[in-house]
Amino acid sequence: MNASTAQAFRDSALRHATRYAPWLDRRPSRDALADATLPEPRCEAWRHTNPNRWYGAERPARRQRLDARGPPNIRVIPFEEADAEDRHRIGQHLNATLDRARYPLANVNDLLLDQGVLIRVPRAAAPAELLLGDLGGGYERALVLVEPGAECVLTERPAAPRQRVVELVVGAGATLRHIRLQPSSDAVEHHLVSAQVGAGATYRVAQHGCGSPLRRCDLHIAASGAGAEIAVRTAYRLGERQHLDTHIAVDHAAPNVVSRQVARGAVGAAARAVFDGRIHIAPKAQGADATLTAKHLLLAPDAAAYAKPELEIYANDVQCAHGATVGDLDANALFYCRSRGMDEAAARQLLVMAFLAEALGDAAPEAAQALLGMQR
Amino acid sequence: MLRIENLHANAGDEPILRGVNLVVRPGEVHALMGPNGSGKSTLANVIAGRPGYDVTAGSVSLDGVDLLALPPEERAQQGVFMAFQYPIEIPGVSNMEFLKAALDSRNAAQGRPELSAVQFLKLARAAAERLGLGPEFGKRGVNEGFSGGEKKRNEILQMLLLEPRLALLDETDSGLDIDSLGTVAAGVNAFAGEDNAIVLVTHYARLLEHIVPDHVHVLVAGRIARSGDKSFALEIEAKGYGWLTAPA
Amino acid sequence: MSGPNAAVGERLAQDYAAGFVTDIESETLPPGLNEATVRFISGKKSEPAWLLAWRLQALARWRKMTAPQWAHVTFPPIDFDAISYYSAPKQGPKSLDEVDPELLRTYEKLGIPLHERAALAGVETPQVAVDAVFDSVSVVTTFKEKLREAGVIFCPIAEAVRECPELVQKYLGSVVPQSDNFYAALNSATFSDGSFVYVPKHTRCPMELSTYFRINAANTGQFERTLIIADEGSYVSYLEGCTAPMRDENQLHAAVVELVALDDAEIKYSTVQNWYPGDEQGRGGIYNFVTKRGACLGARSKISWTQVETGSAITWKYPSVVLRGDGSVGEFHSVALTNNRQQADTGTKMLHIGRDTKSTIVSKGISAGRSQNAYRGRVLMNPGASGARNYTQCDSLLIGDECGAHTFPHIESRTPEAIVEHEASTSKVSDEHLFLCAQRGIDAEKAVSMIVNGFCKEVFRELPMEFAVEAGKLLEVSLEGAVG
Repeated sequence: MNASTAQAFRDSALRHATRYAPWLDRRPSRDALADATLPEPRCEAWRHTNPNRWYGAERPARRQRLDARGPPNIRVIPFEEADAEDRHRIGQHLNATLDRARYPLANVNDLLLDQGVLIRVPRAAAPAELLLGDLGGGYERALVLVEPGAECVLTERPAAPRQRVVELVVGAGATLRHIRLQPSSDAVEHHLVSAQVGAGATYRVAQHGCGSPLRRCDLHIAASGAGAEIAVRTAYRLGERQHLDTHIAVDHAAPNVVSRQVARGAVGAAARAVFDGRIHIAPKAQGADATLTAKHLLLAPDAAAYAKPELEIYANDVQCAHGATVGDLDANALFYCRSRGMDEAAARQLLVMAFLAEALGDAAPEAAQALLGMQR
Repeated sequence: MLRIENLHANAGDEPILRGVNLVVRPGEVHALMGPNGSGKSTLANVIAGRPGYDVTAGSVSLDGVDLLALPPEERAQQGVFMAFQYPIEIPGVSNMEFLKAALDSRNAAQGRPELSAVQFLKLARAAAERLGLGPEFGKRGVNEGFSGGEKKRNEILQMLLLEPRLALLDETDSGLDIDSLGTVAAGVNAFAGEDNAIVLVTHYARLLEHIVPDHVHVLVAGRIARSGDKSFALEIEAKGYGWLTAPA
Repeated sequence: MSGPNAAVGERLAQDYAAGFVTDIESETLPPGLNEATVRFISGKKSEPAWLLAWRLQALARWRKMTAPQWAHVTFPPIDFDAISYYSAPKQGPKSLDEVDPELLRTYEKLGIPLHERAALAGVETPQVAVDAVFDSVSVVTTFKEKLREAGVIFCPIAEAVRECPELVQKYLGSVVPQSDNFYAALNSATFSDGSFVYVPKHTRCPMELSTYFRINAANTGQFERTLIIADEGSYVSYLEGCTAPMRDENQLHAAVVELVALDDAEIKYSTVQNWYPGDEQGRGGIYNFVTKRGACLGARSKISWTQVETGSAITWKYPSVVLRGDGSVGEFHSVALTNNRQQADTGTKMLHIGRDTKSTIVSKGISAGRSQNAYRGRVLMNPGASGARNYTQCDSLLIGDECGAHTFPHIESRTPEAIVEHEASTSKVSDEHLFLCAQRGIDAEKAVSMIVNGFCKEVFRELPMEFAVEAGKLLEVSLEGAVG
């Protein structure tokens, strides 16, 4: 029998490991990948996105770019410049938050790595502001350690990477506000954000923007400390033929965790939105309070949305709810606007903006609004 | 100004209007009364261009322009304004944002300059104050979580800002307490002038104590059964609609 | 923690009232599945050549398939060669008088009104026509004559193959194709009996139709097949009940139910499933792997599924509706209660193909003990389904801290002209409600039972009266021991 595209890709990754940061211990990833079954077309986690298109996509030409910045007290260290102490730290934390079984594609990341960066956020008087921009466009990796009690705003602007894996360790009592801005691109992309949130810590992530021919975003947030607070917001507007697949998993692994997920998607002509939002409550995670809403607007006759909100609950002291809708703009609201003199295009724009704004929250950066075509 | 001739219209498959004729001149206030289901609200909605109604015969023109040929927004730009019987809630769109978008559309269509943000705010705040809508009003979503009275006052506010040529007030008095009724009526009376006209659609004569009509029409089974002056409204108040039948 | 919720866990032995074995001489095929098994079953029923060929084709397809792994259930692999595919009481009944008295006593114990006279005598009891399936064969169908007068055909499917082969041949496998899934293929090859219903044009079936299924023999699988056809403008309400004896080993029940509704026809299908759930350690119990699907072929047709699932060790079942006819309507109302070590993965599919099609899904899951209870659903809006609407409401209730409640809805919309709305919630029985009941002198078990009944009310309302009462009692019995 012929090897599938997934198997061929895996074998090639095993054979062609990079020499970047040669001191990295790649054995665990190599072993995990050798044992892993990479996603095949139509498998449950990739039901509406064909992974073969990602395996087969051209690897972008390597660009020497490292756009990562922060204030002076924050350490931003490219892997290639890491000293012995930082190498040790990287060895200790890299892949530690990853659920390799659930995200087998992440196993190829350190084998094929083009650019990695370590960011350490110490506790300081004022919240730190960090920017994580272009890391070269190939296989990218960021490891962000937010130390206990630290406060930080991390703004990410990926530039069409083939694969970007961001690991976040949010220490006890720390606060991380994470903004991911994703403009339209022509690339086939895979993103994985894997966050581990400590006791009493707050992690708020907002991922806003558009699509590409194929963009898959996995967000895995494990609330591993009691009393953690998680908020996930995502708003997207998909232009013609774009395909965006967002999978969010929030794991309540400790008691008294509060989590919120809000997704709003507007889907244009021949575009496709896939949204999978999961709430998982572990047996000991009593006192859980978790909600998710996912709404999609189909703005053209051939637009499609595939939504799958999931609840998986193994504790009983819980308050969990989710809701999902798919449809067109409300016809009455549209007429109301038109009866006040707005033409149909302007009325639709106004209503789409209002719809997306529900996922933006009060503190949405203007850049996010601009990406969504919401300049007012 | 407004000329309706032999207007027939269906809601879905059901014929509602069966030959309405009406002429409204500048400076006039008309009251359109009638029992439930007589077609009053349908007439207002057909003039405003609401989807779901089919005009099967007849014509409607405003200042000589055939309204029926225009999409709803162009009717609005020509000066048609309908205050909705059930104002629509639009969560996420603030009242100010909505008003500005509406006003900008009208100004652009009529070749008038766009208002600056400061000019607009001044206008909108003054109008909101006049209608007793609090300072938070501007930031709230359009009609979102508004009481019945607040929604109706918001309709009148929009009318004051948009300065239409023809205002169709569809059951604006329904669901109002006596204070709100007074506020709304004062707003309408302030608006009424030599250059515009008002058509009040109402089931009860109560509103007509506050806004005095020049002409009163009663619609029965999709046609105007009888017309008169303001005293006719009092007669209806006393005798009900039962004695009026559709013209043959 | 204190209060009644804290006492959860002290489970008492559950009383499964239907857990007796009937001592009847039966003819049972030795375990194993091959072409000879299929030929034997087909020969026993004197089937025509086309049906044998159809079965053999299904067997060939089944051999190439693998058992589905995606459901949220775990169990050791089933040895399909260790199951007997045919068991029948040796004395084949010709009429009710010839039915083995032991068998009649069995149904009396179950409270099924098999005896027409008895049923007729009771003026208060509504008339229900019953087809009773015992292991692999239908033993008796009541009220046949009265139904014939109305033109309704209600008989064992084996009889329908002989009496109205053109209907069976036209519709068998038309809603659930042989290769739809592993268990449907298995059923297509080996089905031994089941019920057949045909309601002619513009006919309202004069009474409720009902089938009771009972697995009696040991090591026996039950593979019944039900086919209901409602012709233009007709109406039928069909009830299904299931029980099995208490046995230590697991028994397989892999049924297929197909419903066909033509223009303006309506089918209401209600199930109270009380297969043996196994004991509190999870020993024994029925594996209920069932494929149920209805096709709204005609314009303005309607199919509604109502199910109360309290039994079985494992339930794997998704009664679905294919909404092909313009303006057709699909409904799914479900209560699934799991206790002890039971596992349920159940839900529905609503596939909107025609214009202006409507569907409603109401699912109530109750998990107690160490059970796992999952709702799995799929709502599809095809590009042509303009004006279509779906509304889904899934609620889960947790009793005790060792069980699981899960919700896996799939929403797929490919047209802006359709509207899909889904809502789900999960919570435990509120301590405040329990305290209120306790303060009013109601003990915890009674209080939970009341709360659960209230939680399920929307679904019970959909059941025919006599079933609603039975369902309420069943929940109470099934919850025994869930609250200390």
